[in-house]
Amino acid sequence: MEALEQLIHAGQLSPVRHRMAAELEDVNTLCSTYRSRIYRYALLSLRDPDLAESVTQDCFLKAYKARNEFRGDCSVATWLTRIATNLIRDATRSRKFQFWKAANSTAVDAGAIADRLRSPGLSPETFLMIKEELRQLWDTVATLPGQQRSVFLLRFVEEMEVLEIATAMGLHVGTVKSHLHRALTAVRKAMEGTK
Amino acid sequence: MKTTHLSAWEHEECILGQATPEMLGHLTECAPCRAEIGRLEHGVALYRKAAMEWSSECLATRPQQPHMAGRRGLPAVALRWAIAAAVLLVLALLPFHVGSPRPVQRTAEISDDVLLQQVDEQVSVAVPASMESLTHLVSTESGSGAGAVTSAPGGKHIVQTN
Repeated sequence: MEALEQLIHAGQLSPVRHRMAAELEDVNTLCSTYRSRIYRYALLSLRDPDLAESVTQDCFLKAYKARNEFRGDCSVATWLTRIATNLIRDATRSRKFQFWKAANSTAVDAGAIADRLRSPGLSPETFLMIKEELRQLWDTVATLPGQQRSVFLLRFVEEMEVLEIATAMGLHVGTVKSHLHRALTAVRKAMEGTK
Repeated sequence: MKTTHLSAWEHEECILGQATPEMLGHLTECAPCRAEIGRLEHGVALYRKAAMEWSSECLATRPQQPHMAGRRGLPAVALRWAIAAAVLLVLALLPFHVGSPRPVQRTAEISDDVLLQQVDEQVSVAVPASMESLTHLVSTESGSGAGAVTSAPGGKHIVQTN
């Protein structure tokens, strides 16, 4: 903190950036603010609750260790998402993950997710249709290529702006848009299959 | 305003919030295009809802806070100073500890005194315990012999021979 105050007095750190840097200093507040968001992103990307937890903890640990490198040119959330994206990519490249991915069927996963769905007030036929729709969607998103899936999750689950996604993933805005269009095309096709 | 229906790409642009005024103008007039976009939006919303619920369920079964609480603890510099102070304190108190009389030693001295006293008592007895039976033998023969038997303190018999 003393180093931060020195930078402020020297005019090298704006108050906004200082607030962000101070946010990174308090690791407990940082975790309680962003944990659910980072965990959700990791969980939906990896589909493994234990691995997602491990990635989430690594993300906060890495962020805390590298807090002095945070330049404040994006929000803390975006910066954390960038760290999480790298960790998720590393995790999916591991041989262990590849093995379990090959061993597990995503169809079981999708069925379990669809079974959790609760829609009170709907007729049984409509509810069944919605469940089937969700099952198709879940499988489609699971089989999207890595970057496309990440971009889709960040846009439609985390509701991040295209520019934020580009910063978090280290991609050009055009590339992010292209990924989003492809992902939406896949989603549309999946939904046409349930008509 | 567009007279033909919007393309799939344009539908996606609308969902991404990138619709041009021309596209928006068409949507106000075209129910099929609105329905198509609505359908796609419904699918995305359905996925989001399921994703949020699944994530919340998984998160609820895990500890509230990752194991990071202890990481901040004492700063490393403060910890080093605390260890250094403790070492100095121990070093400063060490000479007093070494110079002080030891209770163990005192106990040993007491037990030595008791042992010596017991040895003195044993030595002061004229007839050793192992030879006490012989004194009876001597006393029975003393009536006919020249020796006289006297009683020593503590009930011991001492044979006096001429």
